[in-house]
Amino acid sequence: MSTDAKLYGLLTEFDSASVLMKAAAKCRDEGFKNWDVHTPFPVHGMDEAMGIRGTRLPFIVLVSGFTGLGLATLMQWWMNAVDYPFIISGKPLFGIPANVPIMFELTVLLSAFAAFFGMWILNGLPRWYHPLFTNRRFRRATQDRYFIVVEAKDPKFNLEKTRDFLAALGGSVVEEVNESAED
Amino acid sequence: MSHHHVPSVEDTKITMDGLGSKVFMISAVIGVVGLAATFGLGLSQGDDLQHFAFAYLLNYAFFLAISLGALIFLPIMFITKASWNVVLRRLAEVTAAVMPLMAILAIPVIIFAGKVYGWNDPVVAASHAMSHKAGYLNQTAFTIRWVIYFAIWSGYALFFWRTSAAQDKTGDLKYTRRLENFSGFAIMACAMSIAAASFDLLMSVDPLWFSTMFGVLYWSGGFVTFFAVLTLALLGLQNTGRMTNIVSPEHFHDLGKLMFAFTFFWGYIAFSQFMLYWYANIPEETSWYLVRTREGWDMIAYGTLFATLLFPFLGLVSRFAKRSRKMLAFWAVWIIAAQWLNMYWVVIPEFSETLTFNPMYVTCFVGIGGLWFAGIVKLASSTSLVPTGDPRLEESLRFENA
Repeated sequence: MSTDAKLYGLLTEFDSASVLMKAAAKCRDEGFKNWDVHTPFPVHGMDEAMGIRGTRLPFIVLVSGFTGLGLATLMQWWMNAVDYPFIISGKPLFGIPANVPIMFELTVLLSAFAAFFGMWILNGLPRWYHPLFTNRRFRRATQDRYFIVVEAKDPKFNLEKTRDFLAALGGSVVEEVNESAED
Repeated sequence: MSHHHVPSVEDTKITMDGLGSKVFMISAVIGVVGLAATFGLGLSQGDDLQHFAFAYLLNYAFFLAISLGALIFLPIMFITKASWNVVLRRLAEVTAAVMPLMAILAIPVIIFAGKVYGWNDPVVAASHAMSHKAGYLNQTAFTIRWVIYFAIWSGYALFFWRTSAAQDKTGDLKYTRRLENFSGFAIMACAMSIAAASFDLLMSVDPLWFSTMFGVLYWSGGFVTFFAVLTLALLGLQNTGRMTNIVSPEHFHDLGKLMFAFTFFWGYIAFSQFMLYWYANIPEETSWYLVRTREGWDMIAYGTLFATLLFPFLGLVSRFAKRSRKMLAFWAVWIIAAQWLNMYWVVIPEFSETLTFNPMYVTCFVGIGGLWFAGIVKLASSTSLVPTGDPRLEESLRFENA
């Protein structure tokens, strides 16, 4: 391993969800910002244990939904009543009931796009590589092991102190993870 | 896996006890007084009880829809093998099992059919279109159909309630399997009979008008009202110290989601019916809306658009509102009132083409509602408020929204 490999963070492994839960609460109380928990399945109550605040996604969706509604109304008004007025079966040029389906569809379309792509952006996706992939131990995160990873960029990160802190959490091992595996 | 200890039904009060008979008595007395007052007011109208018959139909259709909502909710929960609902399912069971009482309360609708339904009007009956419908829309066939509807509904409602209550004693898995096996048939039988019943009960007031959306429209209004009633019932029970630590914000969150979803579903269906008729603009189809958008009824039409669809949609859209007891209670009451307003707009314009309101509508609401609620409380008092023998109960108690 080359000596100039950049440190990504420290990883600690647990073999039970209940120990992990207590450890996560301690990390939260320690005041770490850039850290995460990895489990093979969703663990109820983990959001609270990690101190994760509610997502901003709903507001993004709401704003996008209203944008779609406004856009659809404006578009139909411009097309049917202004740019190319044409009377069809005696209906008003700008008849709300006839426009509602498009207003509904565009509201839903933009909301769905905002929810889907907003989730990508908030989660830092798409992403083809993650430093944790370099760690052999971490492969069991999708099977039967639980991990806490504290990133080196966390303001409270200190290699020695954080290593001692993680070692005291009750996990089986603490390992350094590098940004890339340059052998 | 929860950070707290898993709640248990042993830690909380899950029976009505003395409260049951007290609430039953109060509610039954209010119901009888309400109906008597309605009848008195009806007689004083001097129109041979015609206005009374419309007031009765309005409120009967409203409360029947709530119990029918519960009746459809149960088999859906079983056929999907859902667990979240188990802790509150007994309340849905008793709301549906009150069906034999609703059958008795249907008698005035059948007796007064001549004063309400257009197919009994000799002028309408003489029209060419009616000559083709007369074989279906007549007093005898109408009465026979109501017997069939209530045979199906009472049968399924009592089956779901009794089977679940029997499981309380033994916890035997066979009861769950039996309910799951019958749920598919129950959904089909109830869905078709509810659609047909809505045509009889409300659509045939104007026998020349028809809508294929009407069945699902009537059902969805009742379905969303049922979730509002269920929410209020749970909040009320918790305020009396019952089911306190077993029904959590997670369960209320789900009821909020269902109220939100079916508020919009109802609006979607209501608009779909309106928009196609508005666009096609054929006289025999638009007549129904014409009456309801003139002479003051247009105010109620717009009122329904905002009160029944847009306001509760915006009110319940956020996660915060669905998890707050106060906000949820507010919107549950709102939805019940708004659905009633919509039923008023569906029924009363057939009696009076100009906007009209009568104290009878309120006394009759209290009358039928009181008896309906008394029946539910009576059933709820006879067993535990929670299906304690259900194998999915523990899963329901541990339930958390992701």
